[in-house]
Amino acid sequence: MKPGKPEKTTSLAFSNLVVSRLGGETITLCYQCGTCASSCPVAKITERFNPREVIKLSLLGEKDEVISGDAIWLCCSCYNCQERCPQKVEIGDVIYALRNIAFKEGYIPDVYSKFASAILNDGRIVQVSKFVENKRPALGLPPLQPTGIDALRKILSATGFDKLQKKKEETP
Amino acid sequence: MEEAKVGVFLSDCGNKISEILDFNALANYVKNVSGVVVVKRNSEFWRGEGLQTIVDTVKSGKINRVVVAECLPKLSEVKIVQAVEKAGLNPYLVEVIDLKDHCAWPHRKTPSEATEKAKAMLLAAIERAKLLEPIEKLEFPAVKSALIIGGGIAGIQTAVDLADLSFKVNLVEKAPFLGGLAARAGRFFPTDDCAICIQSPTSDVKTITHTSRKCVYRSGFSEIPDLNILTNSKVVAVEGVPGNYKVTIEKKPRYVNELKCVRCDLCTAVCPVKVPDEYNAKLKTRKAIYMNVPNVHPPVYVIDESVCRFHDCAKCVEVCPTDAIELDQKSERITLNVGSIIVATGFQEFDSNVIKEYHYGDYPDVITNLELARMVDGFGPTGGVIVRPSNRKPAKKIVMIQCVGSRDRRYNAYCSSICCMVSLKHAALIKSAYPGADITICYIDIRTTGREHEDYYERAREMGVKFVKGRPTEISRDPETGKLIVDVEDALLKRFLELEADLVVLAPAMVPAEGTKELAEILGLELDKDGFFKEYNAKLRPTETRLRGIYLCGGATFPKDAPTTSLHAHSAAIKAAKLLTTGKIVKDQRTAVVNEEYCGDCEFCPVTCPYGAISLVPTTEEHFVARVSDLLCEGCGVCVGTCPLNAIELRHSRPNQMLAQMKALMSVNGTPKPLVLAICCSECGHTAVDSSGMAMMQYPANVRVMKVPCTGILQVHQFLEAFRAGAQGVMVVGCKSDGCHYEVGVEKAEKKVQLARVLLKEYGIEPERLAMFNMVFIEGDKFAEAAQMMTERLEKLGPLQLMGGS
Repeated sequence: MKPGKPEKTTSLAFSNLVVSRLGGETITLCYQCGTCASSCPVAKITERFNPREVIKLSLLGEKDEVISGDAIWLCCSCYNCQERCPQKVEIGDVIYALRNIAFKEGYIPDVYSKFASAILNDGRIVQVSKFVENKRPALGLPPLQPTGIDALRKILSATGFDKLQKKKEETP
Repeated sequence: MEEAKVGVFLSDCGNKISEILDFNALANYVKNVSGVVVVKRNSEFWRGEGLQTIVDTVKSGKINRVVVAECLPKLSEVKIVQAVEKAGLNPYLVEVIDLKDHCAWPHRKTPSEATEKAKAMLLAAIERAKLLEPIEKLEFPAVKSALIIGGGIAGIQTAVDLADLSFKVNLVEKAPFLGGLAARAGRFFPTDDCAICIQSPTSDVKTITHTSRKCVYRSGFSEIPDLNILTNSKVVAVEGVPGNYKVTIEKKPRYVNELKCVRCDLCTAVCPVKVPDEYNAKLKTRKAIYMNVPNVHPPVYVIDESVCRFHDCAKCVEVCPTDAIELDQKSERITLNVGSIIVATGFQEFDSNVIKEYHYGDYPDVITNLELARMVDGFGPTGGVIVRPSNRKPAKKIVMIQCVGSRDRRYNAYCSSICCMVSLKHAALIKSAYPGADITICYIDIRTTGREHEDYYERAREMGVKFVKGRPTEISRDPETGKLIVDVEDALLKRFLELEADLVVLAPAMVPAEGTKELAEILGLELDKDGFFKEYNAKLRPTETRLRGIYLCGGATFPKDAPTTSLHAHSAAIKAAKLLTTGKIVKDQRTAVVNEEYCGDCEFCPVTCPYGAISLVPTTEEHFVARVSDLLCEGCGVCVGTCPLNAIELRHSRPNQMLAQMKALMSVNGTPKPLVLAICCSECGHTAVDSSGMAMMQYPANVRVMKVPCTGILQVHQFLEAFRAGAQGVMVVGCKSDGCHYEVGVEKAEKKVQLARVLLKEYGIEPERLAMFNMVFIEGDKFAEAAQMMTERLEKLGPLQLMGGS
């Protein structure tokens, strides 16, 4: 939030939106004690992500700043914060809810977008090269199984994920 | 019963309402109602000449029932009832209605409809009056003695108050010494004086004036003739009724005769058993025979039976010059007869060990506020020096962490309310003794609500105490130096800090004292969601409980500081005294009564009664009936609503009285609108109607109000009777669901309305003709709205079609 910027009339609308999303239900319980921030391994090494700040901005309705920025994508989902939060805010899940909102509105970093298309195409986040695959027997691992891609596509299509991803791929 | 002769007294409030209501028509109408023998009119009947008219008529013997239409709700009723009683008639043979606020004012735009409604109201009052029966006043003996459970500040203050009022007081403390948590805390805010300072008894020895404050051990309070102090004791059973409880106390052996011990200290010198002293934060050891600190009460040693070797050692017995040590003492059971019970069991620190990331119990240099308090106390184990328990060296860098286990939805969601002040007090005390001490307080919010409390915060800042807004995630320990590191984000600067500390002090939540749950079961008291004793009403009856005769004070209801505890204690004392002071409890018989012929073999009413007033009494080997205690019964009628056999009734609100009232209210129509019966509880429901009338809010005159003690009294068939009597719709108006004056009544009523709606559908009646509303006194607008809404709804539904018609 910039200094002197008038409070947005949409603030309540955005926090209500987060509350209505799966994982976002507990966001209003936050009283900004900062236990999450001091628990966060990412926040300790970069100023670009601070879970307490992401929650505060969301509660204040700074929607654009939250969903278009890269902060929410930097969470490493270690769930330290969620484990220690005294208000039982499901911080890790709140971040996922925010990511879902961001994705729906067309904001997703390229690296995630690539994961998404990999899932849609192969059913895996990472494409496994022949080279790696050939190493499996030597490591005592069974050969890779087919991914059940049809079922996965059905699920993803029911959620509208495929359309969103397609839209994302089409926009430059 | 002798024939009812009703006198009707019509007040037109000095013409204020006679402009709306046709009083000639009303007078003519009531004259012709059977049973009415006297009809009188005046501008007011609740005082002066009008009231005298009622008194004279009653005294003349012409009437034995009084119906008054007045215009001042509630107050006029009290005045009239008192006067009628003085005139020699049973006060429960009086029926007072309010034609102004319940009729004239809310319907002033439709005067002819209002007059017709007034006729119905008068008829209902007359019909009910005819069926009223005299209700007697009962007297129950009350023992002028009290049991106080808990010997901390709250218990001691209450004990002194009651003993001063010459009640026989029994003060029971489970620990071997009095003082409770307060004594351990050392010093108190906001006076900074000793925690065990109390107000001296006024009946005390001559060296003490009535204004003096003294220590527990100097006040002489233990020598008040009527004060019986039982330490090392706990309550194991309670039976009986208010005014007359039989309490069983288990007194554990002290192994030292209180009358013989001269505190010479020879026994502790020879005792070979050394254990860590829990009372003093394990910062020193004590012997198996010990006293917590020198200034305790009773000033007598105690033997810790969990570690003493008794006859295998007996060195103390050998050295004791007065033969005070009695190793063969056994625990004894004491029975007390008391009139009232006061619970003053207080609170204790939450077990911080549960929060693993703070390593309490694991790192010796992580301690709690109470343990720090022992170090701050000059009488304490370190003589006032702040040390690191790990190496006993002075602690220079101290970090305090607030809200440990409180404001924490995983453990205790509430704010413990005193811990900010405790930490600020400690910080200021340490800083003034050791200005070089480096103290940081990590907080979420600093809460200093209370007189002079903000001064502590200010003083701490002046003295250089540092404040970090942030709740630490973890405490770690440098394995080489043993220094502690507190990992916290300063949220204001958005900066991550690793605070180095010699000593970390946690401010744990304050939770109910150990044994609270068991005691609640013994006494039959409720606990709140956080496990504290629940008061009857937090606003108006903060020391009373659902059970008359049992009171609460101090930290037993919620963590409190010393000033608030004192307030609470004195308040509980006056409540207990009020109950017992005349040696008897006077109560009228507006209670439930069981028809034993119909009652049998179910447990609905005893389980439902919020006051434990109903017990089951065996009649034959296999059968039992319910019996109501007139002393415990509050006359709400929740039992009546629960009884599947109609075997229980309220003396002051019998089913035939209700039915007569209902029929009368529906018998006079005079309005094109569909008749609605609004059944209102005598508490919030009926007063909401009062307040809507007083504010002249308008609603249609087809809505007719009937008062019941509590909506919990209603039975499903009564809704059907209302429809049969001519109601097109029925409103049930009760208190808010969490504000029922009889605890569970409105909740029961809501369930019954739901059930009735299902049944109505079966009978081909639209279920929306019956609806439940909840409101409080000030929500008169809500009543007017509901009445209007209900009328419109019924108009839309059209006339009610009843099958059979009988």
